[in-house]
Amino acid sequence: MNLAEQIRNKAKELLESKTVECVIGYERATDGLTARPLFVYEPEEVGKLIFDQTCTHNLVKYLLNRRDKATAIVVKPCDSRAINLLLNEKQIQREKVLIIGVVCPGIVETSWNQTSEKLPARCQLCRQHTPVVYDFLVGETPPTEPAVPKPYADIVEMEAKSVAERQSFWAEHFSRCIRCYACRQVCPGCYCSECFVGQLDPLWVGIRIAPSENQVWNAIRAFHLAGRCIGCHECERVCPVNIPLMLLNQKLEKEVGELFNFQAGLSAEALPPFATFQKGEKLGIGE
Amino acid sequence: MTQFISKRNLLSWLKRLTEEHILIAPTRVAELTLFQKVNRVEEIIFDFNNTALSPKECLFPTTETLFNVEKKDGQVELTPVTIDQKTVIFGLRPCDARGIALMDSPFLKEPADALYQQHRDKITLVGLACLTACPECFCTSMGSAPDDPSNLDILLTEAEDGYIVQIITEKGKALLPEELLSTTQAPPPAPPSPKAVPTEGLVQRTQQVFDTPYWDRLADRCIHCNLCAYVCPTCYCFDIRDYTDKGKTERVRSWESCQSLGFTRQAGNIEPRNTKGARLRQRFAHKLLYFPEEFGALGCVGCGRCVRVCPVNIDIREIITDIQKLGAKVEA
Repeated sequence: MNLAEQIRNKAKELLESKTVECVIGYERATDGLTARPLFVYEPEEVGKLIFDQTCTHNLVKYLLNRRDKATAIVVKPCDSRAINLLLNEKQIQREKVLIIGVVCPGIVETSWNQTSEKLPARCQLCRQHTPVVYDFLVGETPPTEPAVPKPYADIVEMEAKSVAERQSFWAEHFSRCIRCYACRQVCPGCYCSECFVGQLDPLWVGIRIAPSENQVWNAIRAFHLAGRCIGCHECERVCPVNIPLMLLNQKLEKEVGELFNFQAGLSAEALPPFATFQKGEKLGIGE
Repeated sequence: MTQFISKRNLLSWLKRLTEEHILIAPTRVAELTLFQKVNRVEEIIFDFNNTALSPKECLFPTTETLFNVEKKDGQVELTPVTIDQKTVIFGLRPCDARGIALMDSPFLKEPADALYQQHRDKITLVGLACLTACPECFCTSMGSAPDDPSNLDILLTEAEDGYIVQIITEKGKALLPEELLSTTQAPPPAPPSPKAVPTEGLVQRTQQVFDTPYWDRLADRCIHCNLCAYVCPTCYCFDIRDYTDKGKTERVRSWESCQSLGFTRQAGNIEPRNTKGARLRQRFAHKLLYFPEEFGALGCVGCGRCVRVCPVNIDIREIITDIQKLGAKVEA
């Protein structure tokens, strides 16, 4: 039985038994090639569910719209870390979520009406082919997780550049930002009921879609995700002007890893570094 | 017999335009085709389907100052912004030219938006006919066509060794010197046929499905970013803000979108569109119901940009088809 059939069978069982009222998974998009999120409410609709290497979306964000409703969700290993993040941060209730984890073959690079054979960087560097949290597993767990030699190669490369070089690199990229907030809207870690850029009275960040405001927007969003980004790369995928946002997120992931030996979303119990304070903890400034 | 410009003459004309005008043309930036100000003709891209963002920002910039206010000797002095520089947009597609014509309706309706009016007066539109249709395009269903010359000042159609030239307006005639033109007997290449979407009776159908649960179900999937609105050649919502510093005030407007939380929020924190479904419906009802009711035409040009960029495949072509089916069911 292939992955999609297993997901369909499980979804049907869960809907028929009324264990959940909705299953969030994937269906074929209107280009006939790529995938899109699907919300299944009726057992008769499970036939639409698919799973293949075009299923790139991290669906966990949608759980935030269904906090009190019993929901089943299809997650890849990277997406499953977002569930731990939201459990960590007390945003969702474990008993309301039924997790259909998929052993992930790696997702291929896709865009509208286009698929490829090529695995994106995140999948090439992936060390987690089995979801970190699940109730029902689809697919076969590999005997060992692959070793990945240099996870932060592009970050190390950026770090080697001078401040002026990095400044002009980001100034150029941010100058294209149109502040459509697709990065925020797709991000499972961005769930503030009022975002700092939505603070209009008093105004926190200017409404201008212009280099200086764009820089403030992107920099503050990145910092808000320090120790929280689970590395699904959704922000970078949806950016309409190709800003390499994951360079920022991964730089901060690397820093948090070195300082606190912590990676977001690996466990629902481990306390996130910025949500804890230990007596005797030093700030690390001017020591 | 039609007018013709050789590739060589076209390039020398464009070079001349960079000297006397602001020339906006398709360029290649970070693997994207974008309309940008061009300083050298070599930067212009001629071989592209369409640009990632529409050319609307040449008339309705992402951000612009409307006027400045300053207190001087007890008097309040208001200085409106004036646009002096003449601009040429080169290489826009007929669908995007129709987008500009549609934006004219709300912006130039009396009392006209003074700033938009100035941009519009100072801009000349030189279009490039489409030789291929993208899989997501549907311009012929929205009142335009791949070779539609209306709404442009000049339309160029690529042919062998040059371009067939159609000069449509006086503005276009004034811009392109006659000595650069020759004539050709060769017929223009046949335009491509974009796929059709069913638009007949669509306004009435949209009214019929207005109060159905369709929109809430669709909103399950929508992530409510502003992407569709910002790539759209006909979305024109904006926010306004005053910036005051050291006695000087600048009134600024920037793009906004009906998908934002707080869109049209009113005094007392009243949210007329307080659900995701209501906000998503607003986008389609504006294009397919309110705009045509007020200005006569559907508020979409079928460029397909929103289809291409939507992170979760909210596809206006599918929605139009659904509205037709569902509307017929509601009527029955």
